Amino acid sequence: MLTKRIIPCLDVKDGKVVKGINFKGLRDVGYPPELAAAYEKQGADEITFLDITASLETRQTMLDIVSETAGKLFVPLTVGGGIRSVSDMRDALNAGADKVSVNSAAVKDPSIISECAESFGRQCVVVAIDGKRVDDHWEVFTHGGTKPTGIDAVEWAKKAEDLGAGEILLTSMDADGVKTGYDIPLTAAVADEVSIPVIASGGCGSKEHIYDVFAQTNASAALAASIFHYNECTVGEVKEYLRDRGIVVR
Amino acid sequence: MPLNITLTDYGVGNLYSIRRSLENCGAEVTVVRDMKEVLDAECVVFPGVGAFDKTMEKLQPYREDIREKLLSGTPALGICIGMQIMYNSSAEGTTPGLGVFDGDVVPLVGKVIPHMGWNQVVSDDPLMDGVGDRNFYFAHSFRGNPSEDITIGTTEYEGTEIPTFFRKANTYGTQFHPEKSSTSGMAVLRNFISFAESVL
Repeated sequence: MLTKRIIPCLDVKDGKVVKGINFKGLRDVGYPPELAAAYEKQGADEITFLDITASLETRQTMLDIVSETAGKLFVPLTVGGGIRSVSDMRDALNAGADKVSVNSAAVKDPSIISECAESFGRQCVVVAIDGKRVDDHWEVFTHGGTKPTGIDAVEWAKKAEDLGAGEILLTSMDADGVKTGYDIPLTAAVADEVSIPVIASGGCGSKEHIYDVFAQTNASAALAASIFHYNECTVGEVKEYLRDRGIVVR
Repeated sequence: MPLNITLTDYGVGNLYSIRRSLENCGAEVTVVRDMKEVLDAECVVFPGVGAFDKTMEKLQPYREDIREKLLSGTPALGICIGMQIMYNSSAEGTTPGLGVFDGDVVPLVGKVIPHMGWNQVVSDDPLMDGVGDRNFYFAHSFRGNPSEDITIGTTEYEGTEIPTFFRKANTYGTQFHPEKSSTSGMAVLRNFISFAESVL
């Protein structure tokens, strides 16, 4: 039976992980390749790197980090942040990423999704959606959640699927950083409407939150950052908690 | 002398993980871009990146010879798409496959496609000896559909058993990615290397 995935996410800036890291036994606590390998040991099912600078000057730094990581990581690696074209995506894949997530650029020009899917296969195209509650629906925001688009998040997820996305990385702008739990209604709405896997993101502050999103929605995976970085619990502890409550994990 | 594995690079996607995995397991890896070199290989690994037609494109001129070589006992491992090209044809493309495995590649049916993530392989093949919980990483929308008895492992997906592990002659095929499957995957690759050494 397909297991639910736990994905630690590392926000990378200028080649370093920026969210506070409180890890024991590592030479360089902010160094992404070492952190990724440490999470694999804990039982992480995948790793996601988000390049939060994503400027032209730091692009090569990120690619170097990706290739170094790929040489020592034996679970899938997704890279996102600042992917603007098919050629950006090719660079990331050639550097060693298994999947690449695209966000603002896909909203601006949705054909990038189909072009990437045709060139590299849909299994490596992740469409990242930042959704925020506006009146009675969720609206897509781009550019790190700063720009409203007027597009409905559920409709956009369906369109991304039609265009060839292999997966949706769904972040709730309302829940992100607040640590009060995933946005269950948003996650459920999107996961019920698409037939590609949905990764829930934003708001995770405890292992209970991860249980809730799996128990109450059809999300295939849960992404989290700070609970792992601050050593609040390990990936292994989250999995044990889920297993005890009947959620199938690796 | 370590086993020398010829790893085919079709020019799409990266080979970092598979190369490093095989090296970690004790093999020496030669990456080839000219598929003619497959014909001189001691052991071949066909990695799982790209789409069916693109993967077959470079192999096409040597299709008959490669098929002959694998069927006559050269140890080989095809991963994901690298496994699917062992079949006669695929619903994903129009190019014929290598035809080592009789059968075709068909779309995977389910509520959520691609089948993406970690799932268990049920198999009693020696390649699974000592392989922990047998959970492996999958990422696919098509699957092998053999018309001969070559299935050596299956996986349950949305209530249906699908064939995910194959062997014919000394050619193994995995729908899962051992190179992305952490310690379980490394154990399978180590077993494959021992197997290849034993048949050489």
